[in-house]
Amino acid sequence: MTRRRWDDDDRLFNDLAEAVHDTAPLARTIAEHAEGALSWRMIDEELASLTFDSSLEPVAATRARPDEARVLVFTSTPLSMELEVRHDQVVGQILPPGAGEIIIETSDGAEYRVSADESGFFELPSMRAGPVRLRCDTATGRVVTDWVRL
Amino acid sequence: MDDDVSPVAALVAAAAAGEQQAWRELVDRYAPLLVSVIRRFRLTPSDTEDIAQTVWLRLVEHLDRLREPQAIPRWLITTGRRESIRYLSSRHRIPPNDPLEPRYQSLAVDTGEPNEDLFRAERHEVLLAGLAELPRRQRELLLLLAEDPQPSYVEISERTGIPVGSIGPTRARALERLRRSAPVRGYLMSSDQTQPSGGDRHDAATLG
Repeated sequence: MTRRRWDDDDRLFNDLAEAVHDTAPLARTIAEHAEGALSWRMIDEELASLTFDSSLEPVAATRARPDEARVLVFTSTPLSMELEVRHDQVVGQILPPGAGEIIIETSDGAEYRVSADESGFFELPSMRAGPVRLRCDTATGRVVTDWVRL
Repeated sequence: MDDDVSPVAALVAAAAAGEQQAWRELVDRYAPLLVSVIRRFRLTPSDTEDIAQTVWLRLVEHLDRLREPQAIPRWLITTGRRESIRYLSSRHRIPPNDPLEPRYQSLAVDTGEPNEDLFRAERHEVLLAGLAELPRRQRELLLLLAEDPQPSYVEISERTGIPVGSIGPTRARALERLRRSAPVRGYLMSSDQTQPSGGDRHDAATLG
């Protein structure tokens, strides 16, 4: 058993060394890329966490509707946001419905602005693949979503 | 004594307060674990980098909520897996399987991993999560000893400030500490209780 195996210092160390070797080059690269991530930290906005993503739903549920858009829901106390991703088009709604300004941020520093109409509907511009997040300013409050890849 | 304190909780608090140095150390400590989690899904290095970056960016906003000691590795493992599955399923490369936590038991099905690879990947995750929690000197020493080729004890002594004669005993203390770390203890308890035959098989295969 693993317990007995790891009771021995040399076996424990060999397993550890193997784990380190397997990950070392890529781990160094991703650690370097992550260095600037802290500067993206938002202090004033409330975080809207990703609470639902249809791409994580069981197979049976998605197979029934093969052409269904991918749906993501971000939730915070003042408001929530729903996004629908279908092919390259991304549309969304602020809930409770209401007008607002939305800034889409990409991790390479680009920003795009769109407005939501009185029903809270908006559409995102097309962007290159990679992590994005939405900062949303409405009468109900200011929130920022979790980073996601759409 | 410095050797007995895991710096992770302090690093999380300092990073949450905006200290870049603490963030960098936290990322250095946990990058191997995150790579090990994502690579189970057999993505290309550039996809792995993209997913990892999404996870780090998200971690920055969640630092405030992850103050308890075991929260960081659990959060990284869960988020890393979810982002990988999300990535794969949004490209219809594999159909997503059962989405919630118990599904992680069936990762072998998700990723097509043979059993031996699965056990090995699990062991690696556990050991890397344990390593990330070690006090600085112990972690540094184990990483140096794991280098290939291994540096001489004189060189290790110069780089760590540990006297040559103390390297052996420090290694033994570091390994004992790794064995007692929460990720390793938790893994040993659950694998001994729920998968004794799996553990035996894996052991026999690796040692035989």
